[in-house]
Amino acid sequence: MLRRLIIRLARAAGGSFLLLALLAGCASAPQTRQLLDSPPARLPARVEILAAPFFPQEDYQCGPAALATVLSHSGVPVHPDALAPQVFIPERQGSLQLELIAATRRHGRVPYVLAPRLEDVLREVSAGNPVLVLQNLALNWYPRWHYAVIVGFDVSDGSLVMRSGRRQRHVVDLSVFERTWARGGRWALVILPPDRVPVTAEPLPFLRSAASFEQLGQLATARVAYRTAVAHWPDDTIAWMALGNAAYALQDASEAERAYRRALDLSPDYAPALNNLAQLLADQGRTDEALPLARKAVALDATREAYRDTLETLRKSLGSTENLAKTPGSPKNK
Amino acid sequence: MSRKFMRSLCVLVSLALGGMSLPMGVAHAAWVGTPAVLADQQVQFDRERLLSALARGEVQEQLKALGVDPAQAAERVAALTPEEIQALNARMAEMPAGGIDALGAVVFIFLVLLVTDILGFTNIFPFVNSR
Repeated sequence: MLRRLIIRLARAAGGSFLLLALLAGCASAPQTRQLLDSPPARLPARVEILAAPFFPQEDYQCGPAALATVLSHSGVPVHPDALAPQVFIPERQGSLQLELIAATRRHGRVPYVLAPRLEDVLREVSAGNPVLVLQNLALNWYPRWHYAVIVGFDVSDGSLVMRSGRRQRHVVDLSVFERTWARGGRWALVILPPDRVPVTAEPLPFLRSAASFEQLGQLATARVAYRTAVAHWPDDTIAWMALGNAAYALQDASEAERAYRRALDLSPDYAPALNNLAQLLADQGRTDEALPLARKAVALDATREAYRDTLETLRKSLGSTENLAKTPGSPKNK
Repeated sequence: MSRKFMRSLCVLVSLALGGMSLPMGVAHAAWVGTPAVLADQQVQFDRERLLSALARGEVQEQLKALGVDPAQAAERVAALTPEEIQALNARMAEMPAGGIDALGAVVFIFLVLLVTDILGFTNIFPFVNSR
């Protein structure tokens, strides 16, 4: 009996040893190690955004509280209670990332999801942008989801400062944070007014986030974001193209024309800009200028129906004006 | 609520909805909108990322070691349709990003999926002819 018990205990101990080893394997924090071993030169040693507001959360209301912190800091004074109906799902006792993003847009702020790199998170914080993060405080198979806001860090002692739950200044180990953050899918969000670009932003994801405002019918906000993008990435053809489209849609023909032409200066064979500029010129009755652009677009990509339509319409309108010019001179043809 | 009020509300709503779909009078079918522009760009970006991963010396060596001709693999990537590029991108997004740099993930996915396709173990990419 006793022998059996000992064997059982030994087995259990062996099992738990294996479990511990597995946990240790899962719970490594590679980005932290890399960051602390060789801190990037562009990263300051210590930063804290003291002005970031704090809203102690009620039970499970970490989503609205964290969102209120970043929204308020970006210049939209809003209380978690006002956000809760927009982002809190009572049955789930929580909020979804997509709802936080949608609510950000509803308040006229541009949401930007960071690349899943700890260094990018710290760079945003050092640029004065608090970062909203999703953590899984428990385990993969027993998740406890939590939203918090990173407002500071100290590379010398490897710590982070967060607005989290009921704690205004929650200091955690960078490695502990990385593990909880990795279990949450390394999701980090920065929100800024449309006239600013996050320091770690890449053009394409930024433009995609800005374009969502068009789908919401907020063209003016989208245009501000595109103007910001072309100022930040002046050599980005796509940013100029997007600005041209938004200006065109807002019936600002002169800004649209300038933007399309800038896109074509950068990439003379960029067919979508050729096509849309041709459309714009055709609208203004500048058919002669439009025609060569439309021809070039079709020559570059004859498979696009849009380009063929543009050229076809231009040819028709040219034909009809020619006919009109002929008609008075030859009334007998009728 | 009076019927009259409801009726005027309906008119207002339909006007607003109509206005939304044609907010600016530029309702050209032949106009290339920003969502399409960005989608095209994403595909091109992903394709270039794959090709640049493929062009790396160590990747070429790995491919050769697996009996795959790197030039042929590059041709296959160049011939991927936008849908296939998107499918590959979605798989990449599912990867745990931590610890592995983006390029490493590309290489990993590429080797695992593309090469196994070529060897006939899997059939994720329809462009790989398994004989």
